[in-house]
Amino acid sequence: MRRDGPRPRLVLVLLVAASIALMVLDGRPGTDPVTAAGRAAAGAAFGPVAGAVSAAARPVADGYRALAAAPGAQERIEELEARNRRLSAELDAAEQDGVRSERLADLLHLSGLGGYEVVPAQAVTRMGSGGYAETVTLDVGARDGVAPDMTVVDGHGLVGRVIRASHATSTVLLFTDGASSVGARMEGSREVGAVHGKAHELDGRAPAVLELMQADARIEEGDRVVTMGSHNDAPFVPGVPLGTVTRVRDTPGALSRTAELRPAADLGALDVVGVVVAGPAEDPRDSVLPEKPDGDAARAPREVGR
Amino acid sequence: MKGVVTALLVAAVVLVQAAVVNRLPLPWGVGPDLVVLAVAAVALRTGPAGAAVTGFCAGLAVDLLPLADHEAGRYALLYCLAGYLVSRYGRVEGRGRARVYGTAAVAALGTAAGFALLGTVLGDPRVSLAAAAFAVPVSALETVVVGPLVLAPMGRILRAVSPDAYVGSYPDLPAPVRSGGGIGGWRG
Repeated sequence: MRRDGPRPRLVLVLLVAASIALMVLDGRPGTDPVTAAGRAAAGAAFGPVAGAVSAAARPVADGYRALAAAPGAQERIEELEARNRRLSAELDAAEQDGVRSERLADLLHLSGLGGYEVVPAQAVTRMGSGGYAETVTLDVGARDGVAPDMTVVDGHGLVGRVIRASHATSTVLLFTDGASSVGARMEGSREVGAVHGKAHELDGRAPAVLELMQADARIEEGDRVVTMGSHNDAPFVPGVPLGTVTRVRDTPGALSRTAELRPAADLGALDVVGVVVAGPAEDPRDSVLPEKPDGDAARAPREVGR
Repeated sequence: MKGVVTALLVAAVVLVQAAVVNRLPLPWGVGPDLVVLAVAAVALRTGPAGAAVTGFCAGLAVDLLPLADHEAGRYALLYCLAGYLVSRYGRVEGRGRARVYGTAAVAALGTAAGFALLGTVLGDPRVSLAAAAFAVPVSALETVVVGPLVLAPMGRILRAVSPDAYVGSYPDLPAPVRSGGGIGGWRG
């Protein structure tokens, strides 16, 4: 069973000598033919193996890398997400600021033209109780001097009137609400009438309808309407643009003439509005209205103004 | 039969070491040395001459396979010595798992230290005392940790192909037998 093979020490000495010889050969500067050939052969044999292992181990290696990086990656993801949120919020805010400053400029322009003293406000919510009422909530209230029956305008025209004012918020009834009527006067003429809100009428094609007292009053598409003004400027100050006539209803024999009206203010996208806390010293008449556009009379004045 | 199986096993371990372990993005920069485990596993069931040849061949393969950046012959020398010493002294004093793993751990530590020493002797600029003081224990520790993964299957396979090997039927000899004696022989 046990037999003497080659002498182990001799083998060991030979192998050690071979190793040292290899090291010496390979350690010299320049390439040694023996070791270079060995390396080339090993590389050629190893290439396919390494390729196969790489292909097989890529998922494992990726998973390992992901695992090794996992604690840091989680933090990194959170950091990036937070950064992303902050940046997008800043971007939104910047855009919002741009729009607001534009609208605020419009509002100042309008109030300057009409001589109104306004408290700027932000339309916070637009709520319709049960879907009937057309109301918005503003972020100003009694502490800002807002009281019920004050006129609310935006940069282009009438919005509505304050119906309730709490300490810090107030509720505005839009003039297109079904329960709202505003005294109106035709631009240029003395024809007076009333604008009724028709926002939720069944046959509602226009958000508001102008009804003139005189049945034979001259009225055409493109005619513009301003508020007539109420007693003591409550609830409506005079001279605020209401809208543009878009269609005259042909009602022969009726006691009054009616026409559909497109509001001057963009009531669907209210943002910066102003509550008129003090009316003008005298009726501004038509001076608040922007320049009448030539030609296409049906276009809204605010669209021309931009 | 046993020689072929041994060669195949060692070759497989060398390939795994070169293709898998050496590529793992381990956080400490050094990986476990599977080859010394394989050499130790073979040496524990082979005579010193066979173990030395096995170690030399495995080391030469490690030296020559790509990614090796040192002079050819370093690992050949180290594994050759490791195989010889393990076979010569590791097998004699009884057996048992603890002894096997202890022997492998000593071999791993010795190989790592020897590699650093050889690097110093040969003037390898990367091997400094500080680097070696970190790399040697870490590498040895990793090798010991993954030791069972290599030693257990290799021991089982080698036992299966040569059931009449020394280990197991070995008498607890008080001292190593002199070279050229009956124990340290080449077993083919």
